[in-house]
Amino acid sequence: MTKSTLASMTKEQVLKIALTAGKILLVSGAETYRVEDTMLRICHEGGMNTIAAFCTPSLIMIGEETMEGASLMYRVTHRGTDLTLISEVNDMSFHMPAWGKSFQDTMAILEEKTMRKPRPAREEIFWSGLAGGFFAVVLGGGALEFAAAFLGSLLSMAFVKAVAPFRPSSFWETTMAGAIICLTVVIFRMACPDLVMELAIAGGVMPYLPGMAFTNGIRDFMAGDLLSGTCRAGEAIFLVGGVAIGIATVLGVLYM
Amino acid sequence: MPLAATIFIKTIFSFFATVAFGKLFKCPESCLYKAGFVGMVGFGVYIVLLSGFGLSSMLSNFAGTVALSICSEIFARWYRQPVPIFSIPGIIPLVPGLPLYRAMNYTMLNAYSMGMHTFVSAALDATAIAMGILLVSGLAKVYKTSKKMVRDKRKGKR
Repeated sequence: MTKSTLASMTKEQVLKIALTAGKILLVSGAETYRVEDTMLRICHEGGMNTIAAFCTPSLIMIGEETMEGASLMYRVTHRGTDLTLISEVNDMSFHMPAWGKSFQDTMAILEEKTMRKPRPAREEIFWSGLAGGFFAVVLGGGALEFAAAFLGSLLSMAFVKAVAPFRPSSFWETTMAGAIICLTVVIFRMACPDLVMELAIAGGVMPYLPGMAFTNGIRDFMAGDLLSGTCRAGEAIFLVGGVAIGIATVLGVLYM
Repeated sequence: MPLAATIFIKTIFSFFATVAFGKLFKCPESCLYKAGFVGMVGFGVYIVLLSGFGLSSMLSNFAGTVALSICSEIFARWYRQPVPIFSIPGIIPLVPGLPLYRAMNYTMLNAYSMGMHTFVSAALDATAIAMGILLVSGLAKVYKTSKKMVRDKRKGKR
């Protein structure tokens, strides 16, 4: 078996590769222990064994456990979900024991992953609408509920994508999305009185419920990362609250 | 519509819903339908236990989560992918969105006791899902460590 080229790099270069890989993982929504584990594995391949890595949903730190040792830090401000990137970086880290590329090439590969263009917004809007529509059927609705939930999710995601350049907080986004879905369904009901409103709203709101934050939070707790687990659980509660407030506002006006 | 047909239709649509969510979460193309299958397994177990056998919502949620988590752990080892690729889209059909909506709706209509009742049952459902994830990821860890320990022991003997 060929020896990994990581062993012949300088410490700073190895740390830089590890941090960039960890950054991509965290921004794509991986769990804390996976990020830390990947960074430590890369460092061990580079011949550094006294390394500490710490990661929360908003900060990554990695450094040597010595006085003069180098350390790097990265602040994460905007997180998304990209399972493809998680899969790719995970695959890459498993190939590290027999890695054959130079520092520049490795960084170029990682750089390409960070700079990768997001897919067109219309695709995301369409799939979000479809997800909401299918959920209305899963919850027990028919064709009418499917149409209402599809329209609601579609419009709300279109709105979220339209305001995305202004970088609003995710809490505000989900609140507005909940209000838009509710409004769409209420208007739809005026046209077709047969519509079961709760199925359509609950289905349409599904893309905004924090299933991912919840799952990752539990897995973080399980791995012993209490800080990250608490952060993510708090995020999940806030997002659910945001959606509920959005819907409640519209319903409150309706019931007046 | 007979009960079996309803269950069947819901299960089939949970597959499509999970695939749509996989698309939304940018799941790799090769794993999209596998993730959909994982979601279908979880929701299928849940709905069969809930509607077919009449078990409590909490227990069915727990069983569904355990089934889908085991399925995603197996798939993750089989196809050499990280576990979240399958488990994150797969868990979505079980998220108690409808009870949460109902709880909020009751509260809006000033039926506080009914709202609290529904909210607590939704929260218990979420807890059951959390327990399911905890159980399986803990077991997976035990399996992984024990395999490593056996390997180390064999190396030591040689």
